[in-house]
Amino acid sequence: MLELDRVARFYGHNLVFKDVSCTFAGGSMSLLLGNNGAGKSSLLRIMAGLARPSLGTARFTADSPKIGYLAHATFVYPALTALENLAFWRDVHGLDNTETDLLNVLARADIAGRAHDRAGTFSRGMAQRLNLARILLLAPDILLLDEPGAGLDAKSQALLRKEVLHARGRGACVVLVSHDLARDATLADRILLLEEGRLAYDGLPALFPPLADVEQACYA
Amino acid sequence: MLRMTLAVIRKDMTLTLLRGNGLVQALLLGLLLIFVFSLSQGVGESLSARSAAAVFWLSSAFCQILMFNQLYALEEVNNSRLGLLLSPAPIQAIWLGKAIAGFVLLLSAQCIFLPATVIFLGKSLSGPPGPSLVILLLTDTGMCALGSLLGALAQGQTAREALLGIVFFPLLTPLLLAGTGIGAQAFDGIDPDGSSAWLGLASAFDAIFLAAGLLLFAFLYAGDE
Amino acid sequence: MPKSSPPPLILLLLGSVSLACCQWLIYFYAPTEAAMGLIHKIFYIHLPLAWGALFSFFLVFLGSVAYLFKRDSGLDRLCVAAAETGLLLSGLALFTGMLWARKSWGVWWTWDPRLTTTFIMWFVYAGYLVLRSLNLSMRRKSLVCAVVGVIAFLDVPLVFISARIWRSIHPAVFGTEGGELEPKMKLTVAVCVISFGFLWAGLVRLRERQLDLRARMDTIACDIP
Repeated sequence: MLELDRVARFYGHNLVFKDVSCTFAGGSMSLLLGNNGAGKSSLLRIMAGLARPSLGTARFTADSPKIGYLAHATFVYPALTALENLAFWRDVHGLDNTETDLLNVLARADIAGRAHDRAGTFSRGMAQRLNLARILLLAPDILLLDEPGAGLDAKSQALLRKEVLHARGRGACVVLVSHDLARDATLADRILLLEEGRLAYDGLPALFPPLADVEQACYA
Repeated sequence: MLRMTLAVIRKDMTLTLLRGNGLVQALLLGLLLIFVFSLSQGVGESLSARSAAAVFWLSSAFCQILMFNQLYALEEVNNSRLGLLLSPAPIQAIWLGKAIAGFVLLLSAQCIFLPATVIFLGKSLSGPPGPSLVILLLTDTGMCALGSLLGALAQGQTAREALLGIVFFPLLTPLLLAGTGIGAQAFDGIDPDGSSAWLGLASAFDAIFLAAGLLLFAFLYAGDE
Repeated sequence: MPKSSPPPLILLLLGSVSLACCQWLIYFYAPTEAAMGLIHKIFYIHLPLAWGALFSFFLVFLGSVAYLFKRDSGLDRLCVAAAETGLLLSGLALFTGMLWARKSWGVWWTWDPRLTTTFIMWFVYAGYLVLRSLNLSMRRKSLVCAVVGVIAFLDVPLVFISARIWRSIHPAVFGTEGGELEPKMKLTVAVCVISFGFLWAGLVRLRERQLDLRARMDTIACDIP
């Protein structure tokens, strides 16, 4: 569904990574690992089409797939209510859901009770759940997650995991950037490791040799 | 594309007029300018029609800069720009939406600037209303087409207003001259026999910068480089 | 890469020598203009300066368009070099224009369309260079400047036409600078423009080379651990 061909990224004259080539299929979940500054977020943005690769190409093999991108930033307009926020994103993506649908989605994201409150009054966790509701509404074919769980409580994290697994279940291609290898490696069916400016590992989690070492490196 | 444009307009209008401090800042600055210029009149004097028209357009231009700055800052709060960029609709829809929102806001601001100019600068609207109205709309269109393009220029930058002004004003000169030329006619009723030329110029400006906005906006409004 | 590359040096030498020869043409070959006297000789410097400035701005436009499609930082540096040269030359053209106006029409400044255009374009490109000094990422800055480089040049004809309409409304002093020249004067002007062209190309190349070298030094500095 998504194909990277010798993608490279420079910041000024500094190489972040190069020669990243891989394809992502529908119904799969890949875990993208790497140290801080290894370029995980940059790679994810390139996949989303939000940034241009310095070299190489990133392209979608499916016809105009719906892309969901969930990162630390919540994309929430504080002065709009939760429902208005969702209605805006519905229009932006050209969807035809009714207000009842929107309320259902908000219920799935566990913020239906605050549907008519302004998003500015929400805590970070709630704002992120509203952001999740946006993704649920969109039902993307490609779901790109950039440490979306950061700063969320256990309940919100569980909700997030459930919905991500659900997305994979209905055939979406999921790519997850995470630091919590111990927890997320069990979900993934593929692990990608960005190290020293290249793709150092690309394969099954079971064969990923230095699990412990990498985890240490991630927190270093 | 149309749907996204409408969504952007509706959202921007809601956020600016109903939920934000709206036009207050931009309006105050414009009114202040008109007031300050009124100080240049001695007792019993009044500014020439041309000067009054120039002051009116200057206020509008300053107001415009603040407004587009505000409109594009809405997306910077929680980085919703990235969300908009993921839309299947062409990116130009955002440019168009913001331009139209800006156009409506500018027109409403001018509904206050115009009486203020008449009152503080001692003018009356004695000229033919036809060309004046046409040039008002044409000039506003050009200002918004360019303003919406340049508003995206300062994305992620803190000192936006100053930056916009430096680039915006000189580029806008032809349009301001046209607005002033016909505006003078509206204020003193004397036809300076150049009005058709000014209308032509303003139309040319609009055409060029509407096209430039459509073509160039996608380059400017992008993810993080 | 050689330390000093021949092309800019050759161009600069060629320009300087031929401009020196032009002095002979200006003072001995071309007849002195009856009404203006000796001051008319400024014209032979003023015109090449103005043309050089316009060429520079056109080069910024071409470079900007090319940058938007190729995203090559070398093109961006070419734009900077051209814009800086253009700003310098248009500044000098304004200065010589003022000297001319003082002698010819008795005032330091007239709103002749050509002078006005040069003046406004001077502001536009000064703003363009201010954008350069902003604290943005390199790629973003290049992109923003490329967009401004394109719209700035689109504005040139509009500014010129507007200045023309604006002045024709008033009893204007229309300086027909290049109007009815004697053949000898024409030849001199042509030679001056061509000679100055070499100097202009040399200046742009030299500045571009400087910027290239600086970018290269930055690269090398980054590579040192």
